[in-house]
Amino acid sequence: MNSENVALETAFEIAMTVFPVILALMVFLCLIRAIKGPRIADRIVAINMMGTLTMVIIAILAVKMNEGYLVDICIIYAMISFLAVTLLTKVYMGVYAERKKKEAEKHDSTTVD
Amino acid sequence: MSRLLSEEEYRKTKAFKIKRWYRGEKDPYVGAVELKPQKPFTEDINTMKHRVRDEAILKRKIYDIEHNRKLQIFSKFYRAVSVLFVFTLIGILLYMVSYLPPVGNAANPDNNEVATKYIEDAMKDTGAVNIVTGMILDYRAFDTLGESNVLFIATCTVLILLRVDNRSKKEEEEANDRLYEPKNDIILQKVAFFLVPMIIIFGIYVILNGHLSPGGGFSGGAIIGSGLILYVNAFGFKKIERFFTQKTYKWICFAALLFYCLAKTYSFYCGAHHLETGIPLGTPGAILSSGLILPLNICVGMVVACTMYAFYAMFRKGGF
Amino acid sequence: MTALLWIRFLVGIILLLCGIVVFGIELFGVFRFEYVLNRMHAAAMGDTLGIALSMGGLIVLCGLNFITLKMILVVVFLWFASPVSSHVLARFEVATNEELDKECDVEALSEEKQSERG
Repeated sequence: MNSENVALETAFEIAMTVFPVILALMVFLCLIRAIKGPRIADRIVAINMMGTLTMVIIAILAVKMNEGYLVDICIIYAMISFLAVTLLTKVYMGVYAERKKKEAEKHDSTTVD
Repeated sequence: MSRLLSEEEYRKTKAFKIKRWYRGEKDPYVGAVELKPQKPFTEDINTMKHRVRDEAILKRKIYDIEHNRKLQIFSKFYRAVSVLFVFTLIGILLYMVSYLPPVGNAANPDNNEVATKYIEDAMKDTGAVNIVTGMILDYRAFDTLGESNVLFIATCTVLILLRVDNRSKKEEEEANDRLYEPKNDIILQKVAFFLVPMIIIFGIYVILNGHLSPGGGFSGGAIIGSGLILYVNAFGFKKIERFFTQKTYKWICFAALLFYCLAKTYSFYCGAHHLETGIPLGTPGAILSSGLILPLNICVGMVVACTMYAFYAMFRKGGF
Repeated sequence: MTALLWIRFLVGIILLLCGIVVFGIELFGVFRFEYVLNRMHAAAMGDTLGIALSMGGLIVLCGLNFITLKMILVVVFLWFASPVSSHVLARFEVATNEELDKECDVEALSEEKQSERG
């Protein structure tokens, strides 16, 4: 009975150590995508994915270490990544439209002259 | 209106006159004092020529570095002295570094009895389960007051630097509400309708649990601020100005900082690291425990939330 | 009793493994597809399914308590937020890419949509 419990605990420990390592490798690959990505949207997608993977890592750590407060950080991470995506896209769209309009005005003025 | 006097008699009393003057209905000086309208300022051509020539001479005297020997010498001297000053400072700092104790030594000042005292006595003294909160809001409350004030001052400075003074431009931007950005994304609006209350409630939870679990005023305030930013992002500045304007910001910050000062000034002046407040500490682990830490956490949280939102609004729009 | 514990452990681990496999497929899609809008498809699907499966596994491992309640909150939040962020991103890509026709087949946009693209 007792030895079986010990076996269970070691299996739990091994699983909880191996999974975060795999996820960390995935985060690294996401980082490669974020650096390579030819467009801005590519990078934002990769960063969003990194956020999700990090959330899973934090949750696994919370279960492994039996510390409930780490899940709070998980929620905050989800919130921040959502906010970052919406804000970044909105700001970029604003900047793009402004530049477009200015270029058009410049073009108009040069043709008139 | 007075209940004792009739309408006619009340109009003759002094109280009525003062009230009328206070409301601005009647200016007592109009008609009683002779007023001369000011002349509009006009400049004739001769004085303008004089002024322009004087300015040109002054400019040449001050800014013409090539022909001004004094200025040349001064600029060279200034460069030499600045380099010398920086090197002296680096030398002094490096000299001081040689006096620091080696890393990892057991007798270092960071391994002294202060840390042990905090770990042993914090829960008994402050009643907070989270020792860090007990430290920053009880033993070191003066430090946190300074940090909150820094946030407030930073907002004021950014307001001075970034505010859009050009009135016509500001009006135009307000009319179009974020001129070039896409507006009224219905999907984002419907989701923000659910998510913003969730985020704000979570922030309040983090603030109120500051003395029980990691978190506290700063992180909870940041979460509430991000909720407000999401609200602005989805619904636009016009909607948020129904309940959050510059005036609200000023009053909230003022009230929070004032409460903080009033609650803690006595122990600051007495120089004691911890004084009895008279509020019972309660059982550690309950929400209503640990004396003044909970209200101070709420104050810090309000200041941080307002500052987060104010920074966003000012960088996006130039004033809020 | 021990058998029950083992069953719980195995169910939790299998769910967690499923989640990680879904994340792996998502990553494969992100590297394999050619264009952002296709990549986004893989990323959004993988995010929602993977987080649900892995959090489900952790909930089974942990048992029902306050921590699991927070994990359920994470899943609910992400299911609200992730589709919306994908929508916002797709809108951003369509609005800023001037040569969208080269990347994928686009139907001719109507007048008001054209103006919305800006």
